[in-house]
Amino acid sequence: MTTDNCREWRASLGAYALGQLSEDERVALEAHLEGCPECRAEAESLRSVARLMPLADPARIVEPAPRPPAELRERIETVIGAERTTERKRRRRQRFGFAFGGVAAAAAAAVLAIVVFSGGGGGGRAPEQQVAFGHLPQGIQIEASLRPHAFGTEIKMYVSGVRSGTLCRVFLRGADGRRYPAGSFRYRWGDDTEAVLSSALDLSRARAIGIRAGGRTFVAPVSRGGTTASVSQLNQEDPT
Amino acid sequence: MLRNPVRMTTFTGDRDVREAYAAHSGELYGFATRSLGDAGLAEEAVQETFVRAWRAGERFDPEIGSLRTWLFAILRNVVIDLGRARAVRPGVAEGGIEPTVEPFEEALSAWQIEEAMRRIGDDHRRVIFETYYRGRPYAEVAEELGVPEGTVKSRVYYGLRALRVVLEEMGYDD
Repeated sequence: MTTDNCREWRASLGAYALGQLSEDERVALEAHLEGCPECRAEAESLRSVARLMPLADPARIVEPAPRPPAELRERIETVIGAERTTERKRRRRQRFGFAFGGVAAAAAAAVLAIVVFSGGGGGGRAPEQQVAFGHLPQGIQIEASLRPHAFGTEIKMYVSGVRSGTLCRVFLRGADGRRYPAGSFRYRWGDDTEAVLSSALDLSRARAIGIRAGGRTFVAPVSRGGTTASVSQLNQEDPT
Repeated sequence: MLRNPVRMTTFTGDRDVREAYAAHSGELYGFATRSLGDAGLAEEAVQETFVRAWRAGERFDPEIGSLRTWLFAILRNVVIDLGRARAVRPGVAEGGIEPTVEPFEEALSAWQIEEAMRRIGDDHRRVIFETYYRGRPYAEVAEELGVPEGTVKSRVYYGLRALRVVLEEMGYDD
């Protein structure tokens, strides 16, 4: 229990921890500590702080703490942003099973690669068709995967490179030439997920998939089946 | 079903990075500067720390330790890597002396106490600085400050307590 007596001794504990008491004062204080567990615990605790003190460089204490330059944060965000893009591409490449380097390089040739997975490992699931939109403006990436269902077509869309908050409207174009809306989503910067949409149009009757984003419409053909196909196409339609 | 479901950990998003930067970059940079002795290298170290933290974001578990502790643990590795990179310059330390963890821990402790000293109140810092670091007698400091010697003594005591609190906040664990 802390007593008034202790309170007087306590004031000396700092000087004691720092080895600043005279010999007489120290002996007297230690006699008190001997019989006072509370003060002893306090002394020990302060001593652990005092043990660190010789490590400090006094000149650094009086200097203001150095601050990181203002642009460091931006630099970090840029590096992370770039790495996020690369990582996303890598993941897409793995997932979509084809080389994006090729798509980028072939932009001028307006060649679009389409891979139709044969549904391996799908355990009876209907095969998923992966579609990449080629010949896109610099920095924009659009990918889609389509899966047939009894209700129509399940569509997973992945977009990057457009302004955050951009409304993206997706549709399928049927064999009859009509557009079948498949819903909409908003692209958010940094969001790594795919939008999951659906259309009532049967995948077997779909000839193209389109997305209207930021006043532009991009369309990619949908394969009618078979394996890998390369299709030359004009992928940008007039906005409607 | 989404292929990349929303991650449940708290260090993957841009906002997480931004918040962590706002909260801890000063300390990380302060320590890195002290440890590496070079502002440019310190910037590099802090940048690398946040990038590595972001990369490993899914492994961050707030249940295990604070974000601050985690970031310092990453910075520790970054500083060691940078130190090692510097040590392999030709002509330096033949036989390749591995940088050990001791200098890092010591540098961290040194920086922590310096930083804690900077953070405590002026009155407390002043008496500890004058009596301990400059080795001046209590009577002299008391006279200079125009206060009784007993006041200097009790300020030293409360100053040490304040240091203890700051060190605890900084995660120092004796």
